[in-house]
Amino acid sequence: MTRKRRRLVLVLACGVGLGAAAALALSALSDSVAFFVTPSQIASKAPAPGRTFRLGGLVEAGSLQKFMDDGKPAARFRVTDGTGAVTVSFVGILPDLFREGQGMVALGTLAPDGTFRAQEVLAKHDETYMPKDIADALKKSGHWNPAAGPPPPASTWNTLVPKKLGG
Amino acid sequence: MDASTAFAPPAGGGRNLHRFANPGRFLRASGRVLPWLAAAGLLLTGIGLLWGLFFAPADWQQGDAVRIMYIHVPAAWLASGGYFALALASLASLVWRHPLADLAAAEIGPVGAAATALCLGTGSLWGKPMWGAWWVWDARLTSVLVLFFLYLGHIALVRAFDDPQRGARAGSILALVGVVNLPIIKFSVDWWNTLHQPATITLTGAPTMYVGMLWPLLFSALGFSFGFAALVVARMRAAVMERRIRALLSARARAEAA
Amino acid sequence: MNHLPYIVGSYALFLAIAGGFTAAAWVRLGRARRRLAAIDPRGSR
Repeated sequence: MTRKRRRLVLVLACGVGLGAAAALALSALSDSVAFFVTPSQIASKAPAPGRTFRLGGLVEAGSLQKFMDDGKPAARFRVTDGTGAVTVSFVGILPDLFREGQGMVALGTLAPDGTFRAQEVLAKHDETYMPKDIADALKKSGHWNPAAGPPPPASTWNTLVPKKLGG
Repeated sequence: MDASTAFAPPAGGGRNLHRFANPGRFLRASGRVLPWLAAAGLLLTGIGLLWGLFFAPADWQQGDAVRIMYIHVPAAWLASGGYFALALASLASLVWRHPLADLAAAEIGPVGAAATALCLGTGSLWGKPMWGAWWVWDARLTSVLVLFFLYLGHIALVRAFDDPQRGARAGSILALVGVVNLPIIKFSVDWWNTLHQPATITLTGAPTMYVGMLWPLLFSALGFSFGFAALVVARMRAAVMERRIRALLSARARAEAA
Repeated sequence: MNHLPYIVGSYALFLAIAGGFTAAAWVRLGRARRRLAAIDPRGSR
């Protein structure tokens, strides 16, 4: 074995060891690496009342109510991850991207009645990039209701030529 | 130490890569390539960014803020790609003791750090109007910040020793250890809950991006890559010449003293 | 264009970083070439 070869084997062995150690550490820490908890995680193991944490999920279709609370804009909506759902109340201005069917992450506490009182609401963007006329065409033709879920498979629209048809 | 022996390939190392260990040969070859790299970088980046800024459609939700993507995404790819190049140079330096690999690693570091800073800065400028926050400590953003600190640590470490060889050795080890962070960055959005969205362009499926936005992004990404390569090659040329100047000056000083 | 300040900020940041690094590399390369040519006129290429 030449010296170069020995050095290469040594570097590779260190790499394997380091990679294994990092994988173990990350899987042990995965709960604290997660940025938010989901409604179904709350259903199975509710955080203590009064503890501040982040809740994340999709804003349920048809659940968003906006109203005024003491002259300030306020909102109530339900956040779901498909299996569980949590009602969220928030006083403040929602971000631009916030809408039904969109992901969101809220920081706040769980009230005794099970409502999540949010101090801060962030909108989560999904991985789709779509011009307005394509989105309008999909909505008008009934292929997509943004409030109900993600868009249809990308191959059906990402090369679509928007047609300016009168109707 | 003579200017030519400073770069002499190690005995018995007549491998292909060592052909460029000769500084004169490296300067000639890189001098021919550099103008083309720089021109391609300038042209493709210009086309991509002007296309993205003025001709690509706005996003139905993000509006015109989507145009930040044409800088953010190529910068993010290069931040990781540049680190991968840094790790390859470090491997070549540590295992094969290639004399140009040390130089390459030392010059890739600052350019990669700049790409990472650009990625973080534009991401922040996109996050404020879209998410509602300049910064969050989710796994994607935190791991890219760690990448930035790895670059900064490497830049400081390779320049911290009086003996450049020892600096290069220490820097190589840091760079190789930091490679662990690259898969964490890439898969953070799939492994954990993050605020950052998952990948749009994947190997397994059609990109969830309209073609009218994808083309300028690809031009911009290609242009950024050529520009990155041009900057690294230019800095390496300067470093080779500086090393030669130092060797010539010290040889001359020793000759005068004798 | 909506969100204009953020877009302008992003493109300005790009121009500042890319322009700064390009100018610095240009100056460094030119200085090294001149110094090397002054010391060793034969082997400066």
